[in-house]
Amino acid sequence: MDPMHGRMREQPKLAGPTSYERIVLKNPSEHHYMKVQLEFNGEGAQLSATQFKLLVVSALKNLHGEVGSSLPLDLLSFDEKTLCAVLRVCSRGLVKLWSSLTLLGHYKNHECSIRVIQTSPFLLALAGNSRELDLE
Amino acid sequence: MRFKSRYLLCELVLEDPRWRQNISQGTVVYNVREAIARTHGDFGAAACAVSLSVKYLNVYTGVLLLRCRKDFYQLLWSSLPFITSLDNRGQRIPCFINTLHVGGTIRTCQKFLIQYNKNQLLQLMKNCTNAAEKEAIRQSLQSCSLKSLEEPEFVLSKNEENE
Repeated sequence: MDPMHGRMREQPKLAGPTSYERIVLKNPSEHHYMKVQLEFNGEGAQLSATQFKLLVVSALKNLHGEVGSSLPLDLLSFDEKTLCAVLRVCSRGLVKLWSSLTLLGHYKNHECSIRVIQTSPFLLALAGNSRELDLE
Repeated sequence: MRFKSRYLLCELVLEDPRWRQNISQGTVVYNVREAIARTHGDFGAAACAVSLSVKYLNVYTGVLLLRCRKDFYQLLWSSLPFITSLDNRGQRIPCFINTLHVGGTIRTCQKFLIQYNKNQLLQLMKNCTNAAEKEAIRQSLQSCSLKSLEEPEFVLSKNEENE
């Protein structure tokens, strides 16, 4: 099968050598990416990437049971200082993941919450956040 | 508009069929709830809890009729295979649940059950060895129809309305 099946490529007609390629995805994307931040109320705790993943998976297990906790979920990056993380989840599990992140309230007797900063079907979209732009 | 339900006609298969006599509707409901909570978590348990009930339990044949709201019956359906034992007052009874039919009304489930039992009897007849057994099965085949079952119930309910 053609690997580019479902994609439409449009080559804009440009005179000069600078040309760009526009790729339009016609089929629903396989994964969704979420940029989240863990926030503590008052004094917080230190987490490693493994502990954060465990926290997310246990939140999924609480709300959606064994079916929820077996969703394909990856922790792509985790910053221990800012507690920012990028999660990748298959598209059918996005709502389940998001709802269980919302209902998460505790980590080791510390009150906490997870703030979803950005979500997108493309990882590149998380590179820039228009809300953090410095406009003059 | 009325609230629509789905009825799941199931077959309760126990390791030792003698245990069937000890099983009550409450036991089944408790175990099904627990299985939903395990497989689908708090969300599944809450979504199915609204009108989950056992409508019919035959302790002789192990036939079970579960009722659930139409919106979330798939959560119930998908958690039934994960029931491997029933907790009955501290005892664990190994079992599994076969789903035979999913219907919108009790009547369609009843019709299906009669047809299903008829087929089972026909299969039994094939394996018969002597004439007496064959005759007994033929008689029970002739006696199974929905009409003879329905009419006395209908008369009964009419009488109750009059009272």
